[in-house]
Amino acid sequence: MKIMVAVKQVAALDEDFTIREDGRDVDADFLIRDLNEWDDFSLEEAVKIKEAAAEPVELIAVSVGPEEVDESLRKCLAKGADRAVRVWDGSLEGSDPIAIARVLAAVAKRESARMLFAGVQSSDQSFAATGIAAAAFLGWPHAAVISQLEYAPGAKSAVFRRELEGGLLQEVEIQCPAVLTIQLGINTPRYASLRSIKQAAAKRIEVLSPADLGLAAGDVGEAGSASRIRRMYVPDKGRAELIEGDAAEQALKLAALIREFKGDAA
Amino acid sequence: MSRTDAVTRILFEAFSAAEVRLFYVFGYAAIGIFCYGVYVQIRKYRRGAALNLPGSLWARLGDMLANVLSHRTIGRRDAAAGWAHRLIFYGFLLLFLGTATITLQYDILEPLFGIRFWYGNFYLVFSLVLDVAGVALIGGLAYMMYRRGWLKLPKLDYARPDRSPGDPDFNRPQYRREDWAFLWTLVVIGCTGYLLEAARLVWLQAQPDVWDTRWWSPVGALIAAGMRALGLSAEGGGALRLGLWWFHGLLALVFIALIPYSKVKHIFTAAGSLMVRDPQAAQRLPRVPDTEGSPGVAKITDFNWKQLLNLDACTKCGRCHEACPARAVGAPLSPRDVILSLREFANATLESGVLPAAADLDVHGKAPGQIAMETLWSCRTCMACVEICPVAVEHVPIIVEMRRKLVEDGAMDPLLTKTLQTIHKTGNSFGESKRKRGSWSKPLPFKIKDARKEPVDVLWFVGDYASFDPRNQKVTQTFAALLHEAGVDFGILYDGESNAGNDVRRVGEEGLYEVLANSNVAALKSASFKSIVTTDPHSYNTIRNEYPDFGGSFEIQHYTSFVKQLIASGKLKVTQPLKIRATFHDPCHLGRFNKGYEAPREVLKMLGCEIVEMGRNRANSFCCGAGGGRIWIPDPVGMEKPAQNRIKEAAVIPGLDVYVVSCPKDLTMFEDALKTTGNEGKFAVKELIELIREAIPLHRPLEAYA
Repeated sequence: MKIMVAVKQVAALDEDFTIREDGRDVDADFLIRDLNEWDDFSLEEAVKIKEAAAEPVELIAVSVGPEEVDESLRKCLAKGADRAVRVWDGSLEGSDPIAIARVLAAVAKRESARMLFAGVQSSDQSFAATGIAAAAFLGWPHAAVISQLEYAPGAKSAVFRRELEGGLLQEVEIQCPAVLTIQLGINTPRYASLRSIKQAAAKRIEVLSPADLGLAAGDVGEAGSASRIRRMYVPDKGRAELIEGDAAEQALKLAALIREFKGDAA
Repeated sequence: MSRTDAVTRILFEAFSAAEVRLFYVFGYAAIGIFCYGVYVQIRKYRRGAALNLPGSLWARLGDMLANVLSHRTIGRRDAAAGWAHRLIFYGFLLLFLGTATITLQYDILEPLFGIRFWYGNFYLVFSLVLDVAGVALIGGLAYMMYRRGWLKLPKLDYARPDRSPGDPDFNRPQYRREDWAFLWTLVVIGCTGYLLEAARLVWLQAQPDVWDTRWWSPVGALIAAGMRALGLSAEGGGALRLGLWWFHGLLALVFIALIPYSKVKHIFTAAGSLMVRDPQAAQRLPRVPDTEGSPGVAKITDFNWKQLLNLDACTKCGRCHEACPARAVGAPLSPRDVILSLREFANATLESGVLPAAADLDVHGKAPGQIAMETLWSCRTCMACVEICPVAVEHVPIIVEMRRKLVEDGAMDPLLTKTLQTIHKTGNSFGESKRKRGSWSKPLPFKIKDARKEPVDVLWFVGDYASFDPRNQKVTQTFAALLHEAGVDFGILYDGESNAGNDVRRVGEEGLYEVLANSNVAALKSASFKSIVTTDPHSYNTIRNEYPDFGGSFEIQHYTSFVKQLIASGKLKVTQPLKIRATFHDPCHLGRFNKGYEAPREVLKMLGCEIVEMGRNRANSFCCGAGGGRIWIPDPVGMEKPAQNRIKEAAVIPGLDVYVVSCPKDLTMFEDALKTTGNEGKFAVKELIELIREAIPLHRPLEAYA
């Protein structure tokens, strides 16, 4: 059977970044890219399930993004994914989580995957929506923020636990196939040595376009999205000042500040 | 002096033909058992991986003979043991050559060609030499017994730091029994040889050719006089001689037969190990061939034949055990026990007729003979063990090759995993942006040339710690100011430089090392410079010794020798000599790895410092504990750190002012240890660069730079 793991290559800010000219994202020159941390855990969970499984399991890592995303997919292949699929063409530019989820669901259908793993959220955009939206497109049950999981491939249901406020654990049984979004700390992701990443280069990364998946132009990109980023900016910093001195001095300074705010000229 | 050919020893005198034949049966049996044992050993080594040795065999032979004949390596840090072993070695060698000489005449030259030479004057001198050799042998053995029995040297205690009392292989009493059996067997062979010689003299006292020349065998003659004084008759001597003859002869044959099965085999394995030694074993680690499916050593057969031979060369002398900084602070590692465990494992698996299944060849684990990952990760790759080993066992590559397998399996401390990922992502271990690599230079009142953009005389390879660690940045800025002041035309690579990879390689992450080395070699090649200078001994080592394997051969100096030249040539002038008492800590990668012992000391003298050495200095310098990637792995809480152990050693120097280091990691480690050992305020830890700055005031105050 096939298990699909949706992964994302996220961006982290480098020093002294600038905002892109259209004001809707950071200039790509100032971004350091890496595999999303949550996806590292969800991939590890899937690899562990595969390793413990009695029946053969094929693990497919899927991502939506341009060619540079291959680097992250190779890491997934090095860590134990059998195959990787990357979906991209220009029409995907500007897709929101809903549009991305539509693509992921299409891949899951094409592969006849019986389970879809995703991270709870991505570290750069933090929408925490993609996995859940994919469940809607697939018509599968879903569960989010899973911190423990018991699942054997082929089983009709999976049992998982979620951490709630006040130190409570919630144990849930869910019908399969399902979409599960995995929380950090559920396992210890393995190290992908540089050598294993290099060797993973021999494994094929299949590149598909939305059209290959039977998606229309209106299904992806801004047209297929339910939301749109208007702008990204660094808010003006507020001011804070420590008032020093003994009580009398502090009171004097405070009074002066209040007058300044009121607009009273000193 | 002219002697007839009657002056000799008649072999098998008064033996019947049947008795002589019986002796030959025993003799051939012994040789047969010996040869089978040698065959089994060679088959064992051949089950290891292939390895082509570089260099000429003759040069290797010469090197080995020089080491063996001089006993240079055996006498180091234990002169008495060296002299005792010399006595045993030369005594044994002469006695062996003597026996071989007799065989040459009796079994080869005389029956085939009728040539005889073992008589007359030659025989007499021969007797004298062998008598003296016997004394040397027994004397040397007696000292070794005294050493084992009475001196109770800690290095000869086989208790293991990586096992607990009660574990089956905790202190290996079988080794102790073997040591004593070895010593006693040789002593008994030697003593019965003399008794036999004396009994023969008593027996043949009526023959002037024997009796009148007896003082050419002085020990035998003395004992014969004693036997006669005790009333031993000629007939009694004859009977005693016959009994002793068989006892001595058979014991010697048993000894020969058992050579390949016991520690006696070190005669061959140690010499062989010395012959195949790699003088750069730890400085330049082996590459992983691209064709190799899984890197590193997982199975015993993944070691190459030379490493398997190394395992058998070990004589348990304990010098590595004594020198190891991890062992000294109680970490579960002794280089000796790694070697002995692997040897036991190799013997148990590779000596059998049929090679066991692959699953039974796994050397990683906690069963007897296997090596635990805690043991492998305790190693600082400081090279103290390799450096002192008298028989050229190369522990560090063995440990690193096993770590390569652990890295491949991800079996390592989570913080180390994180650091390796960080280095892969950012090119430095601090997780800082690549762009910030040259940021330390911003406060300087002058601009450091970008060597990627303009040619420079000297390219300064800065390294991670010197670039990013705030405390070390101050030292880095000072060094820049010194170079500027001395008028050196220098530049740096800015964000073109990455972590040099020395420690990444020693962790065992060879793939990441390749990425770093290739990236740095490309950056260096794209720059135009005459030579490289670095303040980081770790970078120094890998650029100097390992980058040539990646197509980058550069002339590189550590700053200590570079500054020495600047002062000697007058480009930097000492105007305020320091009247301080200093001790110098040799960084592993500058000292032991690259023999840079003298330059820093000469600089200290030029600065006017009085140098007081610590007990462990130069080749025996004690690692700060940060090597081999250990700087990225937290030390266990409650256990002494190597750096603390070292600071305590320095603290006993009366009136010490400054503990001088010349390595960024040392500065970090020892400043910490100074505080945690409560020595803060008693003396200071300083970079040599800081002392240079004090003795050579710059035109601008340092504050202007910081």
